[in-house]
Amino acid sequence: MGSDFVLPKWASTPCIMGIDEAGRGPVLGPMVYGCLYCARSYQKTLATLSFADSKTLKEEKREELFDNLKGNESIGWDVDVLDPKELSSKMLKRNKINLNEISHQSAMGLIDRVLKIGVLLTEVYIDTVGDPEKYEVMLSKNFPSIKFVVAKKADSLYPVVSGASIVAKVTRDRALREWVLDETAENMHRNFGSGYPGDPQTKSWLEQHKHHVFGFPSLVRFSWGTCTTYSKDMVEVSWESDKMDEDGGSGGNSGKRQLKLRNVGFTTSKKRSEEIESSGKGRCKFFQARKLEHLTNF
Amino acid sequence: MEKGTPITIDLKRDGVQDLSGHVHQLPCCVKSTAPASVSHYFKPKSTGIEVEGLPLEEAYFRGRKLDGATIGLPDGYCGFVLGKKSLGRKKSSDISEDNSNSWEMKATFQKVTYWNHDCLPSQNDDFLRAFHWLTVAKALHNPVTPEDLASTSFAL
Repeated sequence: MGSDFVLPKWASTPCIMGIDEAGRGPVLGPMVYGCLYCARSYQKTLATLSFADSKTLKEEKREELFDNLKGNESIGWDVDVLDPKELSSKMLKRNKINLNEISHQSAMGLIDRVLKIGVLLTEVYIDTVGDPEKYEVMLSKNFPSIKFVVAKKADSLYPVVSGASIVAKVTRDRALREWVLDETAENMHRNFGSGYPGDPQTKSWLEQHKHHVFGFPSLVRFSWGTCTTYSKDMVEVSWESDKMDEDGGSGGNSGKRQLKLRNVGFTTSKKRSEEIESSGKGRCKFFQARKLEHLTNF
Repeated sequence: MEKGTPITIDLKRDGVQDLSGHVHQLPCCVKSTAPASVSHYFKPKSTGIEVEGLPLEEAYFRGRKLDGATIGLPDGYCGFVLGKKSLGRKKSSDISEDNSNSWEMKATFQKVTYWNHDCLPSQNDDFLRAFHWLTVAKALHNPVTPEDLASTSFAL
């Protein structure tokens, strides 16, 4: 993925890189982190390439710009595509990882990858996720040789980030357009809409693809608050692992879409463990340790 | 159901479906007993990795990642899927017959896949350790021969 394997000469001169994300808000599909890098000396030319924040551009224009930058030998790029299954399962782990942490890891993964192919990164521009100062401290600690500029709306302030946002947005749109559903039930279709919770097409897709036992196809991010609306149509599922951690203890302030999972209907209020699994309670240690119960009736 | 009600299990000999490879033990309780289109939604994948001698599989359920392994039941044992014995007529007034506690074999299985949430399968899992009982039970219930007794020395 990304640009050519042969490292261009300019990559050994001081380089700048922009990082941006697409598909953080949607309730379905992958989240994509994209980066774009070039020599610092190319910065002025880059500013003339009419990249703008990808959200302000029409889809065809974004596609066109993406094709241009792919063909531009003075520019390198890369993407990290985070599967919705990965997002849901990380956010629903025993030790829950919130979306900010996932985002940070993805961005740092991209920096790491670009450094490893031998690009001399000296400055990285990035849209903030969470508190900009804390984010900057974390980035600088992990990559001491790089100067970081962490800013709100970096995608509209710095052309190199605008470029990254085009890389991310086009990749996300294509991934969704070409998505192959894992699930093989009948009457499924792919008119997902944009994936944003407010999109009527997305809403009706969710409505048509909900399942009382399985919830949704795995394209959907189960950890999104939007899914709550549908939980009343689904049978309750209580997890052994939810009883063990009282609180889950995840990092907390991670945006409105990440509701407390207990409120989303996919995990339930704590049930006494005996209801869910055998405990071996009251028996000798051998049985307790193996959770073997004496069953006299069933 | 009152204690002491006799339980009968009708073990059929022929024409019973073998569900090996389709029996899953989940780390959660799904509050439904109705049929569901499992094979269309639940798609376990083999990872090609082995942990503690167990071939690791992965699957997703309700957004959570499950790590699992398929194990064969010990020699001489077989898994049974039991259902309430159908008594021919199916009227709502017959519901009381559900208390009859008569069961029949609906299917058998020789393999079962058990799943952990966010935790690799291990020989230390309760589910695998439960099988230790079979060995212990065998030792406990084996008749003791005079030779066994003679070979056991007691230090006094």
